[in-house]
Amino acid sequence: MNSAPHIIKDFDLALAELKNDVLTMAAKTRHNLERAIQALLGRDAELSNSVIADDDEVDELERVIDKAGMSLLVKYHPMASDLRFVVSSMKISMNLERISDHATNIAKRAKKIIATAELIDVTLVEPVYTLADELLRDAISSFSDGNGVLGASLHVRDKELDKLYKAATAQFGDRIEDTQGRSQEYVHLIFIVRSLERVGDLASNIGEDSVYLDRAKDIRHMSRGERELT
Amino acid sequence: MVTTSPSDPMTELATPVESPAKASPSTKANNPNPIAEQDAMIEIDDVSFSYDMGKTNVLKNISFNIPAGKVTALIGPSGCGKSTLLRCLNRMNDLVDTSKVTTGQIRIMGQDINAHDVDPIELRKQVGMVFQKYNPFPKSIYENVAYGLRIQGIKNKARLDEAVEKSLQRAALWNEVKDRLNSSALGLSGGQQQRLCIARTIAVNPRIVLMDEPCSALDPIATARIEELIAELQEEFTIVIVTHNMQQATRVSDRTAFFYLGELIEYDDTTTIFGNPSVTQTEDYVSGRFG
Repeated sequence: MNSAPHIIKDFDLALAELKNDVLTMAAKTRHNLERAIQALLGRDAELSNSVIADDDEVDELERVIDKAGMSLLVKYHPMASDLRFVVSSMKISMNLERISDHATNIAKRAKKIIATAELIDVTLVEPVYTLADELLRDAISSFSDGNGVLGASLHVRDKELDKLYKAATAQFGDRIEDTQGRSQEYVHLIFIVRSLERVGDLASNIGEDSVYLDRAKDIRHMSRGERELT
Repeated sequence: MVTTSPSDPMTELATPVESPAKASPSTKANNPNPIAEQDAMIEIDDVSFSYDMGKTNVLKNISFNIPAGKVTALIGPSGCGKSTLLRCLNRMNDLVDTSKVTTGQIRIMGQDINAHDVDPIELRKQVGMVFQKYNPFPKSIYENVAYGLRIQGIKNKARLDEAVEKSLQRAALWNEVKDRLNSSALGLSGGQQQRLCIARTIAVNPRIVLMDEPCSALDPIATARIEELIAELQEEFTIVIVTHNMQQATRVSDRTAFFYLGELIEYDDTTTIFGNPSVTQTEDYVSGRFG
């Protein structure tokens, strides 16, 4: 992104504030996801409740970012990379809000699993979470640094997450058949890894928005070859 | 009235002269999606221009093609040469004694407009102009529109009536003035006067309409009416507009050329110039970073 200052200083301030709000929202979202998994693995119902409660902060930040974006469009008529930055910020905040919703879903299901006897197989969620979190971290970096190459890489890496998700779902499905009386918990675990798989999809969307921000190129729904950045 | 038909381009101006060998085509960097020669209404080919008989050039080796039937915006900070270039297109600069095209050619439909046998009066019938400050003649609304036709020798009342009505309708002014055609044009509002000037310009059926900041003296409603009019007129005319209002350039134009210090910095589709320009100077200008 062009880093030269604008003639109107308030324009620079408004853009910086918008970026700060998106990064704050991203940090809170990632933190919510991390704590939801910690709650599941550590059998911590209180932590689950915190994640569920803190989702409101992320929802509020989505509203703040939309309002700030609209205000920038109305007041300063941004052009070129500034326009792409405002549009990308608003789209990224929408994806972050949905990721935080998935963190809340995971926390709610964690509470239900915690309420029953300890289940060793919850640890099978961990590698799925680790990769989903890596994708989310890199998606946020690609936006923060305007790094289109990193953003474009997420789509391929999301395929790896899909494989992990399918393997984990298959394992949980087998356990439902093998074990007596724990099917409810395994169904919750299937939905938890499903949420993590969706986090990967949404991180990939953020990566695509970062490519648009950096290169003005819309790579959505393109084949692997077409997504290559020169 | 000059009545050149579309299949008979500019025959009144002069016999076409041999074009020089293609001179300095625009660089790929500043003109990445050039307009092909066959789609061009105006070819600007390595043009330099001076107001002091060639001592200093205010336009420097400008090359780009302006497409037929489209709106092309010329943008850039004050003094960048955009209005000078616009005035070169109908040789309005001939009125400045010391002015001179020092290099290159401007060809309209293949004809070098600065060739010695081109009559600038005939040229201006084909290349009309609308100015920043609306300037109707101190005559009636009817006579303003009929003026160009009368000096072309048309005296038939029915023919004049028809042409005046058609021009006022094309300029989206007919419904507002049809009941007071004999009233003074100076009694109209600013926006109406500017639309009257557009009606006067298009009454003689030019091929090209040049507009030099046509809305800068108008309020937002009158500006919107003119912009709507530009969109309608582009089906019949090739329009070149100079504007300082970048939002206006994005709204009305298909192609945009950015000038700075007499040079063409970048020329591309308007959405590219304002969405993803190739040259940093363009990006800095359109995004308000120009120091």
